[in-house]
Amino acid sequence: MGGGDGSLSLPRWVGWAWLVPGAFLLAFLAYPLVALGARILDGLGQSALVPVGTGQVAALAAAQALASTALALAVGLPMANVVSRYRFRGRALAQALVTIPFVLPTVVVALAFRSLVGPGIPQGLFLVVVAHAYVNLAVVARIVGAQWAQHDDRHEAVARTLGAIRWTAFRTVTLPALVPSIAASAAVVFVFSFSSLGIVLLLGGGSTRTLESQVLRQTSVLLDFPGAAATAAIQLVVVSAILLGGAALSRRSPRRVMRPIRLRRPTSRSGTIGVRVTSAGIAVLVLAPVLALAVDSLRSRGSWSLAWWQAIGSVDAGTTRIGSPLSALGTSISYALITAAIAAVVGGLAAVAVLGRGPTRWIALVAVVPLGVSAATVGLGTLLAYGRPPLDLRATGLLVPLAHALVAVPLVVAVVAPALRGTDDRRLAVAACLGARPTRAFLTAYGPVLRIVMLASAALAGAVSLGEFGAASFLARATNPTVPLQIVRLLGRPGEESYGVAAALAMVLVAITLVLVLLVDRLGTSRQPAAVGTP
Amino acid sequence: MTSRLEAIDLAIGHGTVLADGLSLSVAPAEIVAIVGPSGSGKSTLLASLAGVVPALGGHVLVDGIDVTAWPVHRRRIGMIFQEPLLFPHLDVGDNVAYGLRRLGQNRREARAQALEALAWVGLDGYADRPVERLSGGQAQRVALARALAPRPAVLLLDEPFSALDAELRQRLAADVADLLRREATAAVHVTHDLDEAAAMADRVLRMPPEPGQPLARVPR
Repeated sequence: MGGGDGSLSLPRWVGWAWLVPGAFLLAFLAYPLVALGARILDGLGQSALVPVGTGQVAALAAAQALASTALALAVGLPMANVVSRYRFRGRALAQALVTIPFVLPTVVVALAFRSLVGPGIPQGLFLVVVAHAYVNLAVVARIVGAQWAQHDDRHEAVARTLGAIRWTAFRTVTLPALVPSIAASAAVVFVFSFSSLGIVLLLGGGSTRTLESQVLRQTSVLLDFPGAAATAAIQLVVVSAILLGGAALSRRSPRRVMRPIRLRRPTSRSGTIGVRVTSAGIAVLVLAPVLALAVDSLRSRGSWSLAWWQAIGSVDAGTTRIGSPLSALGTSISYALITAAIAAVVGGLAAVAVLGRGPTRWIALVAVVPLGVSAATVGLGTLLAYGRPPLDLRATGLLVPLAHALVAVPLVVAVVAPALRGTDDRRLAVAACLGARPTRAFLTAYGPVLRIVMLASAALAGAVSLGEFGAASFLARATNPTVPLQIVRLLGRPGEESYGVAAALAMVLVAITLVLVLLVDRLGTSRQPAAVGTP
Repeated sequence: MTSRLEAIDLAIGHGTVLADGLSLSVAPAEIVAIVGPSGSGKSTLLASLAGVVPALGGHVLVDGIDVTAWPVHRRRIGMIFQEPLLFPHLDVGDNVAYGLRRLGQNRREARAQALEALAWVGLDGYADRPVERLSGGQAQRVALARALAPRPAVLLLDEPFSALDAELRQRLAADVADLLRREATAAVHVTHDLDEAAAMADRVLRMPPEPGQPLARVPR
């Protein structure tokens, strides 16, 4: 697959496909980062460019991120074990459930946790850590699960016959084999928690902060742009170092032949109980916050009511005085559509460039870089580059979707590139031999797969845009908030109504996100038959 | 190391019975081969003797002690699989030292004894090698050294040579038989190759074609 010499018959434009993603990344990643750097240089010479206390915030954020990572691993590893290795009734559902927290917008997760714990547990570090672990369960379960499913159980059997008790066999044989994937997932969870914004703002209670929330505060409250730029730069360095470290550790895995995954049934009674308890635990853990949120959206003054659902359409319940909370949904959906279109084109072309020859195929690797740049860095950089004269694009309403597209492009590449690489390129040659011109041959060979993965990745990009909070909080106009911004603003106002309306709005976002993710999942499944007939 | 292994009325299978009423007695230092076609339950029988797969009925005895309810790690029954299954994160020496460490030896003692075990299988000087740099035959020799180093009561061999080419298979089978005899280790060797079985074993048994029938002796 993909091993033939099909590049000979690729249309010439594939060789130029990198230009669009290249220009996009230059304009909306490199230039904003340069603008950020320039702003730091502007501030040089001023006293205390890096605001006092930044080191302390960074240290506390690192401790918080470590705790979040440890908790996500502690809960996620048993889930990875059960979901990726065992056959049991409801396994597909359990797999889908594990993914839900990751796809939910962070603002929604934060609100759901507020609903779940009520006023009983004060906001602060504990809640932030729990919510971060919740969001990242899927990261651990998916990344570690994929490697665990490949792990040959007989290694433990050998260890047992050599005198190892079950725990020793796990500790000395299984765990070392999983180190690469544990390191990779831990790096992702750490970075996510270290640069978290929505959850920290809504659950941190003011005492728990990250550099990300500092950047927002410096920009929007203190109007200290050089300081914010310096803080963002520090975060960028830390995050890049962690991601590179994680990548280096995860590469230290011995070469291994991929084996077909064989799901097993638990062989002992304790194993059966373990699988049942874990799968039930997944359902309870994942659904409890979402159900609490749903209940809060339906409870008014101590009784069941649709009052908040009715209020989301009323201007009085809004925060802008010109639109209802629901009008934010219109804004979010239009941003999501533009994001989906831009990200699909840019990411799709970056993925297509991989098929070509020469150095330009590395554009797909470059296109993944935005993953390591935090939302606030993207937001602030874009604001500095395009949010003021001579080039002020704020009035166009394009800044938010452009920033969202930057965040979504790596995901599009991650979906499309493997699908294209996995397509048998000898079909190109077959089509060419049958008289198809290069572009027609390309469409014949890759068109069916492209159609599906482009749609899936566009839906994914749309879902990302709908839930994105960090960049939007820098770039959206005050009169035109997105849904996550609207939710945060509602929560900033006292009163049961604001909370109830925020909960109802959040549930709308939950529903739309789940539909989009289901669509992506369905499209992913429908792509399977394309593999039939490929060697 | 002379131990006796007995199986009495053993029922085996993964959930459903694959074979039952299996009885077997391996005398100290005796090598018994079991032959049979694929799917006849040879590997499951070995896994059940070792305790890797729970037996569905019957008893396993080592030196007259009923170990059926014992966990795998207490039985002192070593096992070698079709693939070497070396631990990829450990070098050759630490792979061989693994079982010795479980006996409570410190790393230095275990490592020293592992060198000795590597010498048994003709791999002196290989201790510091990463396992992915071994050939198939070398890897299987390391697996053998690893299984023998902690001096198991009995060694079970589950078609350990089947992935090797014919010449290497023959040579390695002869070496293993020599080594088992030299160390006086009782062994059960499962294979579908009757010639290999006859060359290595003192006695050859055939898996029954139907559940409920006994293991039958193959005349030499």
